[in-house]
Amino acid sequence: MTPRAATTLIILGFTLTATGGQWLLGARPTNTEATSAEKPFRTPAATRSVVPPHRPEGTRPSVATGLVNHHGEAVGVACMTCHTTREPNRENGLNAVPREFHQGLVYAHAGQSCLSCHHAEDYDSLRLADGRKLAFDEAQNLCAQCHGPQTRDYLNGSHGGMKGYWDKTKGERTRNTCTDCHDPHAPAYPAWTPVFPPRDAAARQQAEREARHQDNH
Amino acid sequence: MNKAEINDQVTSYRRFLWKAVRDATDGSAWFYAWMILLTALALVGLHAWAVQVRDGLAVTGISDHVSWGLYIANFTFMVGLAAGGVMMVIPAYLYHDREMHDLTIVGELLAIAAIVMSICFVVVDMGRPERFWHMFPLVGRFNWPVSMLTWDVLVLNGYLALNLHISGYLLYKRFLGERPSPKWYVPFVYLSIFWAISIHTVTAFLYSGLGGRPLWNTALLAPRFLVTAFIAGPAFIIVLLFILRRFGGVPVALRPVQILVNIVRVTLLINLLMVASELFTELYSGGSHTASGHYLFFGLHGANALVPWIWSAVAMGVISAVMFLRPDVVTKPIWLTVACALAFAGIWIEKGMGLIVPAFIPSTLHEIVEYFPSLMEWQITAGIWAWGMLILTVMLKIALPILRQPHPEPNHAVSRENASVEADLPPSLAHSQR
Amino acid sequence: MIETSEQTNAPEAGGMDRRTALKVLGATLGAAAFSQAIAPLTEWAENMSLDEYLQKHYRELSPVDLAMVMARMEKQTKEQTGVDVHIQDYRPQPGVKFGYALNLSVCVGCRRCAKACHIENNHDRPSGNSYIRVLEMEKGSLDLAKGRVNYDHPVPHPDKFYMPVQCQQCDKPPCVSVCPVEATWKESDGIVVVDYNWCIGCRYCEAACPYHARRFNWTKPQVPAAEINPDQGYLSNRLRPQGVMEKCTFCLHRSRQGKLPACLEACPTGARVFGNLLDPESEIRWVLKNKRVFVLKEDVGTQPSFFYFFDE
Repeated sequence: MTPRAATTLIILGFTLTATGGQWLLGARPTNTEATSAEKPFRTPAATRSVVPPHRPEGTRPSVATGLVNHHGEAVGVACMTCHTTREPNRENGLNAVPREFHQGLVYAHAGQSCLSCHHAEDYDSLRLADGRKLAFDEAQNLCAQCHGPQTRDYLNGSHGGMKGYWDKTKGERTRNTCTDCHDPHAPAYPAWTPVFPPRDAAARQQAEREARHQDNH
Repeated sequence: MNKAEINDQVTSYRRFLWKAVRDATDGSAWFYAWMILLTALALVGLHAWAVQVRDGLAVTGISDHVSWGLYIANFTFMVGLAAGGVMMVIPAYLYHDREMHDLTIVGELLAIAAIVMSICFVVVDMGRPERFWHMFPLVGRFNWPVSMLTWDVLVLNGYLALNLHISGYLLYKRFLGERPSPKWYVPFVYLSIFWAISIHTVTAFLYSGLGGRPLWNTALLAPRFLVTAFIAGPAFIIVLLFILRRFGGVPVALRPVQILVNIVRVTLLINLLMVASELFTELYSGGSHTASGHYLFFGLHGANALVPWIWSAVAMGVISAVMFLRPDVVTKPIWLTVACALAFAGIWIEKGMGLIVPAFIPSTLHEIVEYFPSLMEWQITAGIWAWGMLILTVMLKIALPILRQPHPEPNHAVSRENASVEADLPPSLAHSQR
Repeated sequence: MIETSEQTNAPEAGGMDRRTALKVLGATLGAAAFSQAIAPLTEWAENMSLDEYLQKHYRELSPVDLAMVMARMEKQTKEQTGVDVHIQDYRPQPGVKFGYALNLSVCVGCRRCAKACHIENNHDRPSGNSYIRVLEMEKGSLDLAKGRVNYDHPVPHPDKFYMPVQCQQCDKPPCVSVCPVEATWKESDGIVVVDYNWCIGCRYCEAACPYHARRFNWTKPQVPAAEINPDQGYLSNRLRPQGVMEKCTFCLHRSRQGKLPACLEACPTGARVFGNLLDPESEIRWVLKNKRVFVLKEDVGTQPSFFYFFDE
């Protein structure tokens, strides 16, 4: 049986999580994206994870299948669908990503194994270094185990984007969490295409001079 | 003063004004051609300015990176010309050189025209010229004494008033055939000497006080401004005197010209020394503070629009300095005119485009944006020059016939130098009418 | 001179000779040409009301006057663009002095701050104006001369770091000292503002600023009606007139209501830290205390309220 056929069967017969369709493809859920008049931030395809770094509330962690339902929404499969029956492999993630279901997952996070962060007994949870379970929503605490300075800066408002009020007596503030910006499987910050290039005389003249310079060489 | 005397005063003043209007508008065909040319240029400039006010300064080549250009360059130069014009007063009054007295009036008239031009250059540079009243006391807010620009407004207008008073008073008295009362002009004359220095010092402080612009941020700026004023002013007057002799039939005494030549001879050399000192400091120390100087003299990263300008200015300065040092040049009007023209043009470049523009290149964030004046800017600039020359021509037309009237003093000493006339000057030109 | 005898013999009044007739003709032609030359000025003056022309300095307007002025401006915007905007006079809050810090280790140079500024502050669209300029700098040097602004490759480039520059809201602002008409001043919360209706457009402040923070309205700024931000501050993002200066105000129409500036909200990496310098518990104070910060061009003595720092 090919993985594709297996996937189809699973979709027909087991838990379907079409609700999280959009984010399954790696796009951010819209409630955390607020830059007006701009498309939601998308990690460039090359580094995009199968497992999205952030999930809407009320959905279970899942992987994308590459399929879409008749609404045109992406279809995912909850992790627990498979991981309730399979033996966990502690070697996975150290050198290679699992072959089945996790195709396309780029893994580059300090050579840890999957089970460094995912809980072997409960795939709906994360795992802290001391073995305790941690909800996916609280992934920051997992990150904090290694990334102390970043966590310190985050807690003091000097790391990570935010929106709302500087004066907390006047209004609310929403903040990104680690996984809003960093793919947990490949956390290096991705490259962006810069927006809004300057269009004034400075930029024009600089471009002209550089073109002249190149012609001369 | 009784009623009859007041009536006399009013009548004679009316006569003076009427004569002024008549003298100013009568002339040869050449005169009319000259006036029509200047009027046409001034109107072209006026129209361009009106368009600029309507459409915004976007019609110029100025930008957020190079935020001052041709206008402020010319403003700076004009303040120098105005200060230089009055420097004739120093030998005339401090050393009681009567020979120079008539010449001082010419210098003061030049100062008036130059001040009017400099004020015009500031006005055309303003984004909202109609808001000029925001500077007025009581109704506006005048940031004095903190802003150097407010000092400049004060000293320029004060200088204009001073020169209008001195030259107007002396001419009027001469017109009446009366001896001018010293208490009505001598204090003002001394004040104007001090004032001439102050206008150019204040204008230099306008720039040198800006810590963010290293090219300007030098203590040498004010002395340089004064020295260049002493070049441009006398050089212009020398040429003006030759023009008046050639086209206006005005006799030119040799001694005043000699004094002017001596002034320019020295100031040209001092200026070259100052430019060399600046250049040495810039080039030897290096660093990002000297980027503007590098841009000006050698170009920076392929941007070199000002390089030919500044080297032309340096060449003009050197050539004119050499010419002024040669006795065979300064005694021949034609060569002296060439030397003066070179010195004048060199200073115009060096102090205008060569000083104002490069201070903005590179910008404070070290972006290199070059500046090229637009056609509109040239039109407005030419218009203001024409307007200034128009004012000067009219004032000279009024003043010269009055100056040709005899001095009221009976015993006017003839200076010895004046008696001996250089061979190449026709004897008739070496006499001032007495 | 040939005409000397003519002059002295000429009648003082009356007697229209040929020369006088020519002079009158010349004067008439000149006057006609003059009125043609200044024609653009009359077109321009038509768009200005007397109230606008005679408007007093912001700090001399009574609350009632100011309310009337703002109502007039709202009406004018409605007439010209069809958009209902709300102009308000946001005043500094007591006990607040704003500070801004920027983490150069985190900034990726995406220029989203510059774009957010452009949109928030109703900047001129054709010129793409913004109060923020982002410099791409060489690693190993803080020399601005090695920076460039028009980079267009994916960022962050591994050999570069990025330094956005905007108004530093200096405590000793040279732009304020040089203004001849007090059209720009520093308010109690540290923000340097411009009264767009008082500025004469001499651009002396632009020459004085060491940070390229000031912008001039070279023409009437154009913003399509659909893109106008209707929440406007009198001293900040209201639609500016032609021929006056403008500058970053830390989005005072936002920050004086307790909100974060638009550039900070747009920053995807959290490189920007904003807050009250007088509050010891504020995040900006934490940065000043715990990070090694520096200010741009400290040697020019402007004492900025804008700080830069690195993590590594």
